Amino acid sequence: MTDTHRPPPDPEETPPLGQRLFDNVWLLLIAGLVVMLVVYTGWGFWEIMSMPQGTLP
Amino acid sequence: MPDAFRTCPATGRRIHLGAEALVKANAVVAVVALLIGAIAALLLVLTRWQAVHLLPAVWYYRILGVHGMNMLIFFIIYFEMAVLWFCCTALLNSRPAAPRLGWVSFALMFIGAAMVEWMQWSGRADVLFTSYPPLKADPLFYLGVILFAVGALTVVGLFFATLVIAKREKTYEGSVPLVVYGAITAAIIAVITLLHGAMIYIPTFLWSLGIIPEVDPQMYRLVWWGLGHSSQQINVAAMVAVWYMLAGLTVGGVVLNEKVSRSAFVLYVLFISMASAHHLLVDPGFGPAWKIVNTSYFMYMAVLASMIHGFTVPAGMELGMRLRGYTDGLFGWLRRAPWGDPGFSGMVLSVIVFGFVGGITGVTIGTEQINIIAHNTLRIPGHFHATVVSGTAMAFMAATYYLLPLVFRRKVAFWAAAKWQPYLFSLGMLLLSMGMTFAGSFGVPRRHWDISFSQAPFDVQFNPAVDLVLAVMGIGGIMAVTGALLFIAIAVKSVFFGEPVGEWKIGTYVPGIPPGITNPPVHAANVDEINERMHAGRGFPGPTPGTMVLVFVFLGAFMVYYFTNWKLLSQLWKLG
Repeated sequence: MTDTHRPPPDPEETPPLGQRLFDNVWLLLIAGLVVMLVVYTGWGFWEIMSMPQGTLP
Repeated sequence: MPDAFRTCPATGRRIHLGAEALVKANAVVAVVALLIGAIAALLLVLTRWQAVHLLPAVWYYRILGVHGMNMLIFFIIYFEMAVLWFCCTALLNSRPAAPRLGWVSFALMFIGAAMVEWMQWSGRADVLFTSYPPLKADPLFYLGVILFAVGALTVVGLFFATLVIAKREKTYEGSVPLVVYGAITAAIIAVITLLHGAMIYIPTFLWSLGIIPEVDPQMYRLVWWGLGHSSQQINVAAMVAVWYMLAGLTVGGVVLNEKVSRSAFVLYVLFISMASAHHLLVDPGFGPAWKIVNTSYFMYMAVLASMIHGFTVPAGMELGMRLRGYTDGLFGWLRRAPWGDPGFSGMVLSVIVFGFVGGITGVTIGTEQINIIAHNTLRIPGHFHATVVSGTAMAFMAATYYLLPLVFRRKVAFWAAAKWQPYLFSLGMLLLSMGMTFAGSFGVPRRHWDISFSQAPFDVQFNPAVDLVLAVMGIGGIMAVTGALLFIAIAVKSVFFGEPVGEWKIGTYVPGIPPGITNPPVHAANVDEINERMHAGRGFPGPTPGTMVLVFVFLGAFMVYYFTNWKLLSQLWKLG
């Protein structure tokens, strides 16, 4: 797909901050890993580990 | 290996021959896995169709595991490896990083997959796709999965390395194309996925060897679903990338707004993997805060992203068609679309069924409260067959119709049959998904050999309508498997015995080559005038009024299904 409204990039011009952030693959990779490992995996581990020991009747 | 390139006669792109060979090898093995998975699917559907009930219990569960691994892991991930190699080399005009290591990765994946197949077919891994402890398989099963994952992770690493090479050698200008951005998203989700795979399969492998005494089942479920569900989110990102690519190739689709589409991919990177928590919504080990934050507040950011893509892809196609001069009425662009091009029809059917069936059912049954009436029923496979098969597999099939002439340089065999294959496959899958969904709504469990409970000391009566919807599921399944086998026959004949594409004159119709290649979509001569007219004074519907109508149809269907489920939930327990 091509963007009909996007002018050709000027090689001398620095891209805007948002574009530089989005283009930074390593930043995206780290952000994706951190969010998942903290909110899903880490928090989930903590939930399981903090469960009180069950006692048999 | 020397860096030999060829120039694609259709697109003018430089194609690295070593990378092209890797694309071919991964795609061919993906089709072999699809064949095994499709045969297994036929056996399963003829068993769950209670009136037929084909397989004995042991073989039902064995084949269910085979079906899951071949379809959800081997077929999909091999094809995604082909997509990654294609995107980082062909679309960026780049050479691949370490193609020899690419072949080592391919071999690791192949050996791992072969070990898993061997263990499953020989009855030494009757643990289903999820392999939940305390069910224990032969250690070679877990080792096979680990080898496959290591191979796939290595390919993802080579993908990132190739991006660095392409940037350093300036093979492209500015940001990477949107399709490659989708592939980057898929690769990042793959890292998240495979990391969780390593975290859980390595200790489980050690447990199977007797080196560690136990694997906690709740811990296993938490981490395993970080692999099991996230692996299907790699599919979503790759599928959306394929949608954008095919929309451009088939009808000259445009990107409405790069920022919006890329933002949607970033939302996938950040939030889509936590959809894994849907599988744990009835588990006792997690509190409501963890469940709701993961499946609602954060996960809805990924749902938003899917709805953005679900709008921008058809809207981009509509605007692209209008810029080519098809401006009449709300849906003139749809009527004039190339419905006989399997690349186009397959892509559109993938968008529709993924959104209307897979998306709506997924968000609804992923709601914590509603999940209690859907969990472990046939509604769950009804949902994911609409996303993974009708969505992803259909999109990959549609892409194959373009990859055959562009990468394999062969005409699509059985061209007349290829034109209706997407319709047969999609209709069959739609019937299968709807049959499963309705059966699940009546309480029919998933992963269950015999819902008549014959020889059991108790009796469970289902609504008589269940027999009807299971028959619909069975007929749909047979149609879908026929469509899948037809696709496999087309792919195998084309690749191994196909007619070379040869040369053609642009603008002509060549049977066996999709029209998007021989007659590429071009804008009308008065495109600037049309563009100005489309964007001026159109009010709320904007330049894509047809898609806006479809959006409201979608939202209406979404609301009806969502609130119907709340109504069903309210009737589950009578209070007072």
